[in-house]
Amino acid sequence: MNNNVLIIGSGIAGMDASLMLSRAGKKVFLVEKLSLIGGKIIKNEESFPNLDCSTCLIAPIQQDILQDKNIEVMTVSTVQKVEGTAGNFKVKIFKKARYVNMQDCLGCGMCYPPCPVSQINEWEENLMEKKAVYVPTAGSLPNVPVIDADKCLRLNGTEECNKCAEACMFGAIDFTEKDEEIEVEVGSIIVATGFDTLDVSEMENLGYGKISGVYTALEFERLFSSNGPTEGKLTLRDSKKSPESIAIIHCVGRDDVGYCSSVCCTYSAKHAHFLKHKLPNAKIYNFYNDICLPDKTYQKFHEKIKGHATEFIFQADRNKMNIIQKGAKIEVSYIDKKDIKNSVLVDMVILANAMVPANSSTELYETLGIETDKYGFVASQTFRIGSVATSKPGIFVAGCAEGPKDIQSSVIQAEAAVAQILSKN
Amino acid sequence: MSDKIGIYVCECGPNIASRVHIDKIMEDLAKLEDFKDKELVIKNHKLLCSVDGKKFLEDEINENGFSHLVLAACSPRDHDTTFINVCKKTKLNPYMYRIINIREQCAWVYSDKDVATEKAVRYIHAGMNRVLYQKPLNETELDSNPDVLVIGGGTTGIEAALSSAGENRKIFLIEKEENLGDLTSKLKELLPRQGSNLNVLKQRISDVQNNKNIRIFTNTELESIVGFLGNFEIVLKNKKSDETTELLVGAVVMANGAELQNPQELTDFNFQNDDNVFTAQEVEEMFSQSDKLTLRNGNEPKSVALVHCVGRKDLGYCSKICCNYLQKIAHYINEQSNNIEITEFYKHLCLPNKEDQEYHQKITDKVNFVRITDISLCGTELNLTKINGENSTLKPDMVILATGIIPAKDNPKFAKMLKVDLDERGFFNEAHLKKDPISTNTDGVFIAGTTKGPAGISESILQAQACAGKILTQLIPGQKIIPEVMVSEILEAYCRGCKTCLDVCGFGAIYFDEDKGVSIVNEAICRGCGNCVGSCPSGSIRTKYFTNPQLYQEVKEALR
Amino acid sequence: MNKGIKLEGEIRKSILDFFEKTLSNNTFDAVLMPMMVPSEDSYAWILVKDKNLLKDAEPIVPIMPINAAKALKRYTRIGDGKFKIAALMKPCEIRATIELVKLNQIKLDDVTLFSYDCVGALPMQDFIAEPQKKGTLFDKLLKEQIYNSDETKPVCQICDKFSNCASDLHFAFENGNVVLISNSEKGDKTVTKMKFSPNIDLKNWQNNIDALATDKKKNRAETFELVKKMAEGFDNLSETFALCINCHNCSSVCPICYCRKCYFDSAVAKPNSDVKMMRAKQRGGIALPLDKIMFHTGRMAHMSLSCVSCGLCSDACPVNIPVAQIFSYVASQTQKTFDYVAGENAGDALPMKEYKLDEMGELGEMVKKAEVQESHNE
Repeated sequence: MNNNVLIIGSGIAGMDASLMLSRAGKKVFLVEKLSLIGGKIIKNEESFPNLDCSTCLIAPIQQDILQDKNIEVMTVSTVQKVEGTAGNFKVKIFKKARYVNMQDCLGCGMCYPPCPVSQINEWEENLMEKKAVYVPTAGSLPNVPVIDADKCLRLNGTEECNKCAEACMFGAIDFTEKDEEIEVEVGSIIVATGFDTLDVSEMENLGYGKISGVYTALEFERLFSSNGPTEGKLTLRDSKKSPESIAIIHCVGRDDVGYCSSVCCTYSAKHAHFLKHKLPNAKIYNFYNDICLPDKTYQKFHEKIKGHATEFIFQADRNKMNIIQKGAKIEVSYIDKKDIKNSVLVDMVILANAMVPANSSTELYETLGIETDKYGFVASQTFRIGSVATSKPGIFVAGCAEGPKDIQSSVIQAEAAVAQILSKN
Repeated sequence: MSDKIGIYVCECGPNIASRVHIDKIMEDLAKLEDFKDKELVIKNHKLLCSVDGKKFLEDEINENGFSHLVLAACSPRDHDTTFINVCKKTKLNPYMYRIINIREQCAWVYSDKDVATEKAVRYIHAGMNRVLYQKPLNETELDSNPDVLVIGGGTTGIEAALSSAGENRKIFLIEKEENLGDLTSKLKELLPRQGSNLNVLKQRISDVQNNKNIRIFTNTELESIVGFLGNFEIVLKNKKSDETTELLVGAVVMANGAELQNPQELTDFNFQNDDNVFTAQEVEEMFSQSDKLTLRNGNEPKSVALVHCVGRKDLGYCSKICCNYLQKIAHYINEQSNNIEITEFYKHLCLPNKEDQEYHQKITDKVNFVRITDISLCGTELNLTKINGENSTLKPDMVILATGIIPAKDNPKFAKMLKVDLDERGFFNEAHLKKDPISTNTDGVFIAGTTKGPAGISESILQAQACAGKILTQLIPGQKIIPEVMVSEILEAYCRGCKTCLDVCGFGAIYFDEDKGVSIVNEAICRGCGNCVGSCPSGSIRTKYFTNPQLYQEVKEALR
Repeated sequence: MNKGIKLEGEIRKSILDFFEKTLSNNTFDAVLMPMMVPSEDSYAWILVKDKNLLKDAEPIVPIMPINAAKALKRYTRIGDGKFKIAALMKPCEIRATIELVKLNQIKLDDVTLFSYDCVGALPMQDFIAEPQKKGTLFDKLLKEQIYNSDETKPVCQICDKFSNCASDLHFAFENGNVVLISNSEKGDKTVTKMKFSPNIDLKNWQNNIDALATDKKKNRAETFELVKKMAEGFDNLSETFALCINCHNCSSVCPICYCRKCYFDSAVAKPNSDVKMMRAKQRGGIALPLDKIMFHTGRMAHMSLSCVSCGLCSDACPVNIPVAQIFSYVASQTQKTFDYVAGENAGDALPMKEYKLDEMGELGEMVKKAEVQESHNE
């Protein structure tokens, strides 16, 4: 019987479980599909309710993970195949080549400027560009770049470009690196693949993608971050000016997905606070329907911040929100508390869009052979109440992979998963 | 033995080397006036934290037999641990070394190379001054007891006990009442998303009673507790027989639950005991016992109003479970008879679990949902203001109130005994709301369930398991505990016994010796935060790795 | 309102008679009271067991040779004390005792505290120079119940807390009568043991005291305006403490400065020669010994939250710096900041022991406001 554990996803849940298991002397394989660890929290400069700096919160954890001798971190890696049963899983992991040697590379960043290829940076919510050789964001850990083989001129066969290798003092660039298939044997698996947000570009009434001043919540987080596309200056896409009036729309896509995402009311209040902080004279309108504050500390936070917004406007029908360009402004129309159609003109709209299962997780769950619920999240509690076991014995779930939740609930599930793994031993 | 100081300047590749003059730094350090009588070895290296670099450092320390070591490199957050671990492989005590940040604090913040160089020299010089005042510190190992005390025999406590019990780990579960169990035994049904029927919870009670690694004490309370993670001495007292039991455990799980607010204490809700006004809990009990909703006179009501958020204004927080259980009660009533008119008055619907919205929508065509901004009750007459501003009155046959969850009355008593904080509402406070939600500021004491805030059944169970996860990974049978080394100590000769430090210590790490009249630090619990050092009026307390002379030496050079 | 018990005789005699009876009937095992010293120019605190010695005691003394709280501390700090003692002291000494209780230096389990209406104390140096003349003057103040004499110490002149306080029993003086008032359960027990029945109305006395206190408060506010100029700002402090000879007498006599080794006397506060030379280089020259002002501001930081304005520090200063007035002023400001009054009630927690997360936020706001104010003024 194997005591090793495979953890898929290096967000807060995955990292917390890894460190706990390592402390108990277990070997952990931490598989992450991106080139950096840390999950979604690091996209926020500050997280509610005490607005602590996410880097300060997460960086020590990331450091511990990277220095822990029991945890083997595999970035740019995905799980390809799982065979066996609880206590004896054989897992095939596909590890993409970084083309950069992780031992030699210092993270000095000298290889980025000379690279002739530019591409869109998805981690930065498509708000800025990156080169073919890049780290997703300043402060990424591990601080080692990755080269996208399909974009790199040399690796995709276009020309014999060598500029990054020439700029590197340590000879860390290695174009001969190959993708690998690694097989590991583990006794248990924790699925901690997190979430993504609803793609609202198809929702006609929201204007996202057509009206440049309409942003999603994650785009706004990046806009606000000092290590983000505008270095925290909050300038709009087209005009490069800061907005004078902003509408924050709660519950976007809630009825399309069929559930409340439980964190948006709190983070939308946080957004109002951010806006007030950077743009003290701006008018801020929060359009809400139900206010969901499911933790003992959220109401106090919400009440404190409510004063920062110019107005909290009740929308009686969250599906009748309509956003159109009106000249230089954006018109937000809604059904007000008296059931009458009303509207407001603003420069910027932030959509608090619903949390959905992580992209490409459907394939992963099929590979793992675990059941999902009707929303695509991992189904848990299938045996009894309060369980993070999935439909397959030996495989557990933690965090937003199971459903929308806040940070502490993700951590609690991760710690519960660790308990369920260890107490079987 | 004379001092021999090793000073190594890391280039950090181009990160430091391209922004300062490494050679000049080394030259200037060799020329320092106040070190001209000391033996110095000054070298540089391209990358000390690399595998090569660490080996180089290890060899250098072994060959030279340094008494002190100063590394000029990056931020301690990055590699302090790395180099402590290198020292541990040599004869040099790891606390005789100091890392100086010439990267984030010198190289990376100045565009002028000369300025950065000068600052780096001063910083390193300051570190060299400091390191001479450092003393070797040695880690100790303490035996630890892996057993656990669980306080509270409800769903949460039972889950914590079952998840942590094992061959090598005994659980002592105490319950102040006659029987195990809690309010869940008074429910008619669980919510559909809670996955199973109530028997599962009842089964857990039998499981815990039949587990040979769990010892149950009913009618029992905690009399006293002294100690720290791995070493708690507890005394239990049986309320009925007055018998006491002394036990040794390694960890404690607080699972003493919470209470429900009494709506008659609220100024907006005025009703008498014989009015047809019930709390949701009373209604749930009614259904579980007789499976029928009746008025006080035994008849079936024709109209029922369910009121959300009762008392929430005063409490200042959402009790999280009420919107869901009111839907359940609406289902019960509708099943009983669809002639009963049901109205729900709510301000916001809190449906945070993924299955909640669907469950709510199942009842929307059977219940009249009215969104309000304000409501008050007199007898069974409700006066309310709707969201559109209209005032309205309703006098249904029966009113059902969802009251708030409030902290258990004995929380302050436990908080004092366990030296754990309560938050401003009176619930137990977590060590860190997000990162460490079921630990407390006292190592070894964990909290789960409604004792730390409103929570549903699944969450409470998960929290209990999370506590078990912490215990299973922190308290391993047979494994020794290595307490923090950079702790505070009190100089007995200077201590006047004023006890200010005791009150200021957030970890309960200081105790008072009545005979000597002085305070003493328990080094096994102390985390070295330094609060006591600042509060001591006579300066009798110091932290072992951050003494005044050490800090003074560093600061004086930096400010020269 | 409480009622009092009338004691027969003039002030000195009635109080001594009272304590003699308590020793006779074992209400107390000993009494802590001042007695004149053989050279007749000062007084010492004696723990009197033999009631016959009481006739030589002086319950109400014209000076404060040491703070009575210090004397009491010597008795109660360590040891279980199975003996009941009575201690008679001035209201400010009671306040100092209360503060020392909070600092765990005095245990009051077996101590019954007595206070009295205080006309003030005379400056030590004045008394020692002419003990008989000053003794007579003091008797006059006491007999005529003059509470605002300018012969008393400056801090006494501005003291509005000269009457009832946190003691267990209080001797009130009214129209030449002595009335004993009980303030606590312990006091009540004594009254019962002495078989007294309180029947004297205290309203007139209280009104009189209140009126006097109001006057003194005004005096205090006016005086503090003047003291402010001596105490605020480094330049003012330097000038005020220019004469200071670093004898540290002020801290030696202060009841609140109870540390075994004062921080400022320890090695930590004495930097070595290269540091001193460095400072000399920076400023051109330094005064030796170093850190004179630092000692005083440091002492303010350490004890002003518990300062009870007893005035011993001024008495002890050999170069007559008005230390007491300055510290009393600073203490009034620091205590106000934390909404705390030293010595009122043993149940009030010391500000240092009650750290609230929000507090620092308030102070931060105060600092911000002050900075804005300053920049306005500039």
